[in-house]
Amino acid sequence: MNSTTLKTFLTTNLNVDANEVVAILDNCTTKTVKKDTYLLRKDERCTHTFFVEKGLLRQYSIDDKGKEHVIAFAPENWFVTDRESSYFNSPSVYYIQALEDSQVVLIDESFVQNLSEKIPSFIDFNTRLLHNHIRHLQKRVNELLSASAEERYLQFVKMYPDILLRVPQTMVASYLGITPESLSRVRKGLADRNFKK
Amino acid sequence: MKTRTVELVVKPRDPHFVGDGFRVHNFIPSGFRLDMERMNPFIMMDYNSKFHFSATDNPRGVDVHPHRGFETVTIAYKGKVAHHDSSGGGGVIGEGDVQWMTAASGVLHKEYHEEEWAKKGGDFQMVQLWVNLPKKDKMSTPKYQAIKKEELDRYVLPDNNGEIEVIAGGYKEINGAASTFTPIHMLNARLKSGGKADFSFPENYNTVLLVIEGSITVNEKGHAPTDHLVLMANDGENFTVEASEDALVLVLSGEPLNEPIAAHGPFVMNTKEELMQAFHDFNNGKFGYLEN
Repeated sequence: MNSTTLKTFLTTNLNVDANEVVAILDNCTTKTVKKDTYLLRKDERCTHTFFVEKGLLRQYSIDDKGKEHVIAFAPENWFVTDRESSYFNSPSVYYIQALEDSQVVLIDESFVQNLSEKIPSFIDFNTRLLHNHIRHLQKRVNELLSASAEERYLQFVKMYPDILLRVPQTMVASYLGITPESLSRVRKGLADRNFKK
Repeated sequence: MKTRTVELVVKPRDPHFVGDGFRVHNFIPSGFRLDMERMNPFIMMDYNSKFHFSATDNPRGVDVHPHRGFETVTIAYKGKVAHHDSSGGGGVIGEGDVQWMTAASGVLHKEYHEEEWAKKGGDFQMVQLWVNLPKKDKMSTPKYQAIKKEELDRYVLPDNNGEIEVIAGGYKEINGAASTFTPIHMLNARLKSGGKADFSFPENYNTVLLVIEGSITVNEKGHAPTDHLVLMANDGENFTVEASEDALVLVLSGEPLNEPIAAHGPFVMNTKEELMQAFHDFNNGKFGYLEN
């Protein structure tokens, strides 16, 4: 929940000297964006991975009927990108938007190359991050297909402990693939069981 | 007894909206030298300077949100606020009233402009403070002190200088209606133009003055206009406030709690683990449920 710079994130996880990372980070742009700013829009090419140092981003799509579907939230210390667009160089079907005033590091392919060459332990770390991400997506698909609304909600708050207090309920419902009314029912059900006046 | 000097006169920051019903300038904790550690036990101060809300049939306000680990104090100078919580509690804070809510182990509530007031609209001016609780009381049972204007005792200053309304703590022989967990003085000083009042608080008490109306001079040299905050240094006890024109000043002074602070969003605890627990409890319905 606390904001961390990408430098701290990398030095902590890679066990390397901060100076080594600093030299490479010099080539990265850190952007301060106002709430509602778009970092990616549909049909654009996604050229960066975004690391959130402060604030909150969301990745979402809009269907043919104009309805929004939240794919991911990215609070502090999260990465978010459209990997399909950035890796396969295809036009994006997603939007990435700041939900709060945010501070974001823009990571491009050359940064990843550079880091891999200079700090070999980064390759393993990056692979691990990628697998972690795949695991998360698999779990999310499986839950959307098989878990109850309450089970999905409980997984959601475990992964994103403070998001419920930072975004409108409609966005949480959208992430969970349920109606806002169902989300209210789930939360009311939990309160009926767990609230002691 | 030494003189307590002015450390800083702070301009109000640009206002932002809390929900759509409170247009506030935050002083504590976002102001320079006004962070939680420096100002403890006053860990948050939002000031809704006088602002006109138009008439509406849909009262503006703040949706359902939780609190844990501290008290919220709402001082209504103009306008009316209605509140409801997940325990079925509720009420109206009217002009001149003070609501002292001990959120402690947890309150889930919403705050709106009172319906009839909203229908007419009007000037709205309020202060909301968060007062930190000591570690031993952070998880105590929530409670309210709804203090009506008529219940607040006043000390009448000699020579038609004005009066001091005591919310908490004391001024001379007058005591405040609100009970507090740690020593706190909270006063509304209503001074006539040219009127003076002397104050004395222990040197280590963190102390600020918020100019609600008019303008003041502190210790005969530090000038502060309307909507400005005066941060007093912790270098003495005594200071004098003189009104340059008819003035209303909120005076706060409290003994600092020398305990670690772990704060995130609406929770203020002592450790990161307690913060995580607060989010877990909120997410799992332990604060109850309330419709927006």
